[in-house]
Amino acid sequence: MSLAFLVPLFLIGFAGVVVPIAVHLTRKQRRNVVHFPSLMFLEKIPFQERRRRRIQHWFLLSLRALALAFVAAAFSRPFLDQSSGAALGSAGPREIVVLLDRSYSMEIEGQIEQARSQAEAILSDLGPLDRASLVTFARGAEVVARSTSDRAHLRAALDTLTVSSGATRFGPALKVAQTILEESTLARGEVYLLSDFQRNGWTGDEGVQLPPGSSLIPIEVGGEDTIDNLMVTDVSLPRQIVAGRERITPTARVVRRGGEATQTVSVSLELDGQEIQTVDIELAPNDAQSVSFQAFTLSRPHTTGTVRLDDEALSADNSHHFVLSPGSSLSVLIVDGAAGSTDPSLYLRGALGISDDGRFDVRSRRSSTVRPVDLEGAAAVFINDVQLDGGSAERIRTFAEEGGGVLVALGQDSGWPASAADMLPGTPGPMQDRLQGRGGRLGYLDYEHPVFEVFSGPRSGDFTGARFYRARGFAPSDSAMVLARFDDGSIALAELRLGRGRILVWTTTLDSFWNDLALQPVYLPFVHRLAEYLGGRAEALPWFVAGQVVDVANPEALETAGLVSSEAAGLVEGLDQVALSPMGGNLALPAVDGPRYLPLEEHGFYTVRQPGTDPDRPFVIAVNVDLEESNLGRVEPDELALQIEAPAIVDDGSPRLTQAVELQKEDQERRQSLWRWLLGAALALFALETVISNWVSRRATGAAGVVAG
Amino acid sequence: MATTRPRHSAASTQFLDPAVLGRIGNLELLARTVVDGFLTGLHRSPYLGFSMDFAEHRPYMPGDDIRRIDWKLFARSDRHYIKLFEADTNANFSVLLDLSASMSFGSHSLTKLDYARYLAACLTYFSNKQRDRVGLVTFDHEIVDYVPPSMKHLDTILHTLDRAKAGRPGSLAGPILRITEMLGRKGILVVISDFYEEPDAVLSALGPLRARGHDVIVFHVMDPYELEFPFQEASGFEDLETGEQIPVIPGKLRADYLAMMNAHLAALERSFTDHRIDYRLLDTSKPLDRALFEYLLSRERMSKTR
Repeated sequence: MSLAFLVPLFLIGFAGVVVPIAVHLTRKQRRNVVHFPSLMFLEKIPFQERRRRRIQHWFLLSLRALALAFVAAAFSRPFLDQSSGAALGSAGPREIVVLLDRSYSMEIEGQIEQARSQAEAILSDLGPLDRASLVTFARGAEVVARSTSDRAHLRAALDTLTVSSGATRFGPALKVAQTILEESTLARGEVYLLSDFQRNGWTGDEGVQLPPGSSLIPIEVGGEDTIDNLMVTDVSLPRQIVAGRERITPTARVVRRGGEATQTVSVSLELDGQEIQTVDIELAPNDAQSVSFQAFTLSRPHTTGTVRLDDEALSADNSHHFVLSPGSSLSVLIVDGAAGSTDPSLYLRGALGISDDGRFDVRSRRSSTVRPVDLEGAAAVFINDVQLDGGSAERIRTFAEEGGGVLVALGQDSGWPASAADMLPGTPGPMQDRLQGRGGRLGYLDYEHPVFEVFSGPRSGDFTGARFYRARGFAPSDSAMVLARFDDGSIALAELRLGRGRILVWTTTLDSFWNDLALQPVYLPFVHRLAEYLGGRAEALPWFVAGQVVDVANPEALETAGLVSSEAAGLVEGLDQVALSPMGGNLALPAVDGPRYLPLEEHGFYTVRQPGTDPDRPFVIAVNVDLEESNLGRVEPDELALQIEAPAIVDDGSPRLTQAVELQKEDQERRQSLWRWLLGAALALFALETVISNWVSRRATGAAGVVAG
Repeated sequence: MATTRPRHSAASTQFLDPAVLGRIGNLELLARTVVDGFLTGLHRSPYLGFSMDFAEHRPYMPGDDIRRIDWKLFARSDRHYIKLFEADTNANFSVLLDLSASMSFGSHSLTKLDYARYLAACLTYFSNKQRDRVGLVTFDHEIVDYVPPSMKHLDTILHTLDRAKAGRPGSLAGPILRITEMLGRKGILVVISDFYEEPDAVLSALGPLRARGHDVIVFHVMDPYELEFPFQEASGFEDLETGEQIPVIPGKLRADYLAMMNAHLAALERSFTDHRIDYRLLDTSKPLDRALFEYLLSRERMSKTR
């Protein structure tokens, strides 16, 4: 920080300081001139002559000179240039922030220990007035010690440093450093970034900008970035129903980055902690292979599995964990017309029956009446082109309000009792033909809705090939959500939430009578998604990635996490829970209103149970490391430092840079407005000088004899 | 025989206040006003007796000159009467007026020059009414205007006085010497000046006039500020003639100044008296009639000695 002037030309005004001195020494006594007839007598009178060559009132002279200097300085518009603070050298206390990378790649060749040593060296160089903060980071940043000069505390914090399972993210840590420096009252800031500088950790658009006067000092630990690294990138777990039992055939994908020669790699599969099979493969440098293991029967819930490679430099990505539970089929009830030679549910039933893992248990009822027994155990109901009576409609209402899902497909014979009209998301209308051209098409799909979400990607299902020649008009109610429209704007699919369940209306048939959607490839996944959505099925994730969070108070989240049955896992809603981390730590999850988040920070298996219980098959969550970290490509540390340090002002003569520099200076000057204080001080000095000089002048009058200039 | 000292009323004195006179622009009107008003309030005696033309008789009063008793009338009436004559002197009367720059000083509404001009106008008018030949010489360091003495030059003199302006440095010796040469016939010379020269120099300048037989009356015109030096504030004092300026703190110099001024005045008076020159110091703040009294007293004295 240095004193600068926006208009230094006005500093010439400092020469005005000599004006009072010159005036004092050269000015003749300016008094009233009296024209007198003759001085012949006055000239004869001897008098004392005193030349004004001696300064009589040093204090007054100083006041005048100082006031003039203040005025000149004010017009020069001074400001404290904070942009040049970094160039001040080693003067003044420092605010030091040590950012220490603890991502799992730091385990390579003891890089974490190198970083610890470097950090200790930095902390040992602290000056008596310096303050330091210690921030560890991987995916997120954690302030271990904040802005303290207590070296013992800093060293103790450093001793707790361990490698995490997270990937490197420089953004959060640098944001924390920026905040600490911005809040600091010390003039200089230094940020030491100790990391292996993986390229994946820096995107360049983190929006970090260290305050002026601060500098980033990158310290790279580790050497080369071309180590030989093996990793399991993915494990596919396809299921098959064989003799009514699920069989899983795991296939692991093993990748080798770097290396110089072909290497034999042992790949083993462990289930519930027991090694089942080991496969040796030959991997060339920068090669990848898929390894298939023998199929195994999945009979017990929360079965843990691990695909493991031999240990090498980076071991965190050498194992891949997963959790599997036997799947349960979704019970689907199809209600269609009682009479008629055609089967309106032929295609629907066929589509639901096609699955390797037998995920749908389809039952049909050809009647206009739905009995309570028909709805027992059903998760989803398809009412396909049938006129229901009022009692059946009320039973359907009850079913939906308790969490069931219903799809009403409108066809030629369909109808809905007026007493239950509020169950539907609208009012069905007459048939509308689209016979001109080649019929109508689906013009709008809500791809954010779970039914269509899987079709949002490219080549994920083409609905545009289907032609719709006839549909029922449908006037949606206010609370209805429209999920699909035809190209003429009329409604194709609408939804209404009813209690805990949902009711969807498909305004055309599900067979090939009014449209040819049933003949399109997209029909099967569409019907599957419809049934799964109606039945409320959530796809269980066999593993999570370190850094993710699970809300153990949310049943849907638990189902996604693979929880088969709370009772079987020993979990009772509303009671305290505890999570055992892969490293052996305990995480208490007390029963509170609202979400109970379980942060998954370590790779391995988290076990969640009631405290004091030991269930046979506890709820287990598998966590794997983020494989981005396995890519050891590095970012240039200096390049990173340049991006986040306050830009140094280098005048290369370009007009835009010059303009930018001027704008920055003007901005600083405007914010500080030192000229107001200087001008105020100058006015005060002038006023003081006036008072004092008048007083001195009054005293001096009559005291001296003749004063000659 | 002693003369009756002229008296004037309070009203006339007030009328002759220089400040009042200053408001009268026309010098002739001013002179007439002063002289007529002055004469109205005067005893007639000094006015009469300078002429050969009979005017009237009046009873003898103790103190009258016994030479003026009309003995023939005494023979007839057995009473003493004084024979009075009309004034008709036919003497040359000239005013020598100093126009040096120092005369332009004035601490109130009238400058010394104004006062001198009024005085000169009044005396000239007065003399002209007594049938004297009146003339005027104005000078600074040389002669500025010269109006030869004549019975008919009153208007010219008044006009010359009207446009007289002070502005240049003055000195007595040169101009007076020239005047001495110009004035061939003896007469009455009234010198009006502030005499800012050494007394010896003044006397050496005026001496030749007296030596030529002129009756010289000197009016020393001074401003009250010159006589009293009442200045208070420290100021730069600038010489009106030389332009020289010096800073002065009056409070510290007043005593010395007054002492030197008084010594100067005393020296002048002593020198003039020694050379039988009538000297009168006039304060411009004082009424003008005093100067006229002084003049008349001088005339009377001259007539007695003649």
